[in-house]
Amino acid sequence: MTQIQCNLSRDREETLIAYLYNDIDPVIRGTFEEHLATCERCRSDLGALSRVRTQLAQWAPPEPGFVHAAAAGQSGAIRSSPAEHTPWWRDVPVWAQVAAALLFLGVSAGIANLEVRYDHNGLTVRTGWSRGSTAPPSDSVAQRAGAPGTPGTPGTPGTYVPWQSDLAALEQQLRAEMRAVPPAAVAVRPAANDSEILRRVRVLIGESERRQQNELALRVGETIAELNARRQAELRTIGRSLKETENKLGVEVMKQRASLNYLMNVSQRQ
Amino acid sequence: MTWTDEELVARSIGGDADSFNELVLRWERPIFALAYRTIGREEEARDVCQETFLRAFRALPGFRGQAKFSSWLYRIALNLCRDWVRRERRAPVVQAPEGVDLMELAAEAEPSESIEDLVARKDLSRAVERAMTLLPEEQRTAIVLKEYHGLTFQEIADLVGCPLSTVKTRLYQGLTVLRRELARQSAGPKGPALRI
Repeated sequence: MTQIQCNLSRDREETLIAYLYNDIDPVIRGTFEEHLATCERCRSDLGALSRVRTQLAQWAPPEPGFVHAAAAGQSGAIRSSPAEHTPWWRDVPVWAQVAAALLFLGVSAGIANLEVRYDHNGLTVRTGWSRGSTAPPSDSVAQRAGAPGTPGTPGTPGTYVPWQSDLAALEQQLRAEMRAVPPAAVAVRPAANDSEILRRVRVLIGESERRQQNELALRVGETIAELNARRQAELRTIGRSLKETENKLGVEVMKQRASLNYLMNVSQRQ
Repeated sequence: MTWTDEELVARSIGGDADSFNELVLRWERPIFALAYRTIGREEEARDVCQETFLRAFRALPGFRGQAKFSSWLYRIALNLCRDWVRRERRAPVVQAPEGVDLMELAAEAEPSESIEDLVARKDLSRAVERAMTLLPEEQRTAIVLKEYHGLTFQEIADLVGCPLSTVKTRLYQGLTVLRRELARQSAGPKGPALRI
């Protein structure tokens, strides 16, 4: 195949590229367009390079994904180093973390046959392994209530339920603590060195963890209270059912006894 | 109100972290695309992208606006890409899948695009990606900056530190290699059979 001659100057390649990308001096453009009208080689090259550009347009990079914490709207959440990948659980929403923690708590309580009781002796947590022992009130695992409550069975209608007021007080306290965290304290400003950035990131993480722990403690407290109330309600239902069964059984026994007496009397008469 | 890059830079230097985050949101996609097309590895491109913004964040107080913020950012990213390529001492890598899953592809189809068109588009994308790996780093960078980021010849010359004419020559040579390689690939044996 013979090479088609082109009489363009030695800047042919540069002119061709400049024309291709429409980044060319108007005077040179005019001259080059006149040349194109007569040069088959340049027309061919230009067409081929244009097709390459069309093909290049099809190359799309993958989605960057979660490149930067800032994409999630977290102000100033710059990682101190690319090597420091955020743990996967940091990307999980707080509510999901709380739900997972509660699920874990529930399963653990089920396995350990956990009994949580809160009465006038205070909050008592006991597992199934120690159920046989008669632990004195001083063996209570958790804290006692500050406010003294009237002794009575928790959940019994008309009696004092000690955990309700304490729970409300705890909730108030936690909410006050969470409100007390100033938003300005977590703002990150451009720093002059790595240690300053690192320190601020640590402050951010610390604040975040403290908020999450407070939230978790609140939710756990609410859940324990709810579980306790539900347990008491179920115990009452079971008690009622047992009594009803006992009564029915007693009636049946009496009937059986009467039938037996009647049969005995009849057999003795005969 | 939309701030310009330069306004956001000034606010960031003044201590407004949200302004810097706005810059990150605005530029993270182009910087990631530049890194990915330059080094060809998704995970490393993500690291380069993140490192670019971290370096920019650190150096922001020293940024005097002598260049556009985007050019400054591109320069940092390109230096990191160059470092990566030299450190790894290898050509950019293409992570092309072995086959084409039509079920996955169907989810990516444009509303007016048939599955055949979509497969062809994907094939072409992979062919371009493979062909780009054959280019020397300088030609590849010039093509990426011109073709995908729309920089002027002068901006590319300033960015990579070479004469204007060299940029045009690199573009011409790079496009010529791609033209030959893409023609060879389309004329060659077909890739692996499609699986459903």
